[in-house]
Amino acid sequence: MIRVALALAQREFTRFIRQPQRVIGTVAQPILFWLFLGSGFSSSFRAPGMEHISYLEYFYPGVMLMMMLFASIFSSITIIEDRDAGFLQSVLVAPVSRLAIVLGKVLGGTAIAMVQTLIFTIAAPFLGLSLSWGSLCLLIGAYVLSSMGFAAMGFFFAWPMRSSSGFHAIMMVFLMPLWMLSGALFPIEKVPGWLHILMTINPVAHALVLMRTPFYMTAAQAFADQRYLIALAVTAVWTSACLLGSMALVEKRDKGVPTPR
Amino acid sequence: MINISHLSHVYPGTRKSPPRMAIDDLSLVIDDGEFCILSGPNGSGKSTLFRILCGMALPSSGTISIGGFDLLAEPAKARAQMAVVFQSPAVDKHLSVAENLRLQATLYGLKGSDYQERLAEAVDWTDLKDRLADKVDTLSGGLARQVELAKCLLTRPSILLLDEPTTGLDPSSRRNFIAALHKIQRSRKMTVLMTSHIFSEAEDADRVAIMKGGRLLALDSPQDLRAKLGREMVVVQSRQAESLEAKIRADLGLKTRQYGDEIRLEETCNGDSLPVLEQLLARYRADIDSIAIKQPTLEDVFIHMTGKTAEQIEREQLESHTS
Repeated sequence: MIRVALALAQREFTRFIRQPQRVIGTVAQPILFWLFLGSGFSSSFRAPGMEHISYLEYFYPGVMLMMMLFASIFSSITIIEDRDAGFLQSVLVAPVSRLAIVLGKVLGGTAIAMVQTLIFTIAAPFLGLSLSWGSLCLLIGAYVLSSMGFAAMGFFFAWPMRSSSGFHAIMMVFLMPLWMLSGALFPIEKVPGWLHILMTINPVAHALVLMRTPFYMTAAQAFADQRYLIALAVTAVWTSACLLGSMALVEKRDKGVPTPR
Repeated sequence: MINISHLSHVYPGTRKSPPRMAIDDLSLVIDDGEFCILSGPNGSGKSTLFRILCGMALPSSGTISIGGFDLLAEPAKARAQMAVVFQSPAVDKHLSVAENLRLQATLYGLKGSDYQERLAEAVDWTDLKDRLADKVDTLSGGLARQVELAKCLLTRPSILLLDEPTTGLDPSSRRNFIAALHKIQRSRKMTVLMTSHIFSEAEDADRVAIMKGGRLLALDSPQDLRAKLGREMVVVQSRQAESLEAKIRADLGLKTRQYGDEIRLEETCNGDSLPVLEQLLARYRADIDSIAIKQPTLEDVFIHMTGKTAEQIEREQLESHTS
């Protein structure tokens, strides 16, 4: 099963690097976002308890999350393309586990997101952020887990869609708000009550905790921190739930209704 | 062997439309090593049957066994026996021919020297030997179809399903594809089930199945199907087909059938055609645009069975594509 999933993931990655526009777009867009928004808000941003942090620095892990979101959206759109083009049917009739089909897409999307975020990690020292080896491992772990979660969630939404414009609509009303309310753009502390509730139950907010913590704690400190452990558990549960949900969708076959006689 | 027994499929209804029966108690056995063509007008249920056979949909009732495995209970084992060529191309255009083939091999658990051997064998049947490194995007339509055939052969299936595989190919590519298919089928003794509207493709088949309204109308060798129509027929083209047909029936007492502008006297006995033709010309010359004696083809059998001419089917197909 792993071999099949990796072969399908490799196909995703090969397709990605053969489309240079896609590579440029997905790498450049979040960086532009980060530089423009980060610099623009820097003078007015003063988060409680984080007065020493510039907005550029605050927004940094949020942009990583955004890269994963975009990577997962793009890889989910390819599901709709694969179905349209006919490629998907040959995978579906092959004697392979349905989980391998989901994992192939998800791991492909994860690999693409990893390349982007790893490139982006180079910016950390310029922000005065230092990473120990332990923290770097934590960070990479967080990349893998959250990218898989996003990719699996994208898969779950894209699978029943028959048009990519329909998927764009879902993405705008569902996936984007998840990111906006994750604490990537503004901290959770000072928002109105109703927004606070939304942000607390948002699973993506927990992924952001996984992303931000390694920059400010060592691995030992992180594993002793209750907030970090909760975030890790929530993200793991959310990722597995999306994977299993996607698998259930792929496994479902149209069933004829009983004959009237 | 493909064994379909008492298969029915009903699509669930919506608020606006009642449930629709696509396949109605269909039983069909395709023997090992047989080349069978499945034909029928649109809405006859053949696409639904195809979807069920590849395991993409579950029927309302009935059983299917493929190569001895129950498709509904053990889909993975049944799928391992067969390969499918779909109407829409199932290759990745952004990958090279070799990359597409390697991916297919992985899906079917092939690796190492086994893979190399089968690759050589599969490509040998096609004209792809010098094009393995090229992206599928750069190949002609005919060659791109051959990639799919090579993909299927890679897994040495005992059963091959094809859904109108020659749609969109020019006549010479079509002929090459079908010729290659027949050669492979014979040498490997594969069981082939292919849906097709193109009757020239059906002439070389072992048996032809004609479906309509979810039922099997006929299943026989092309020769026997033609024999069912008598040996010859007289075909009259007329702009007043309806009134002319009534006149022929009333005046001469001949059995006729009308399809659009065409009147066919299908049950003309051998040797009677010429006198009938002379008689018709003598009486109704003014109403007749053209008249001919025809040896029945499979297309004529199809028209006789389904009540639709090839043009009607084509028009329906165009309409269903554009809608």
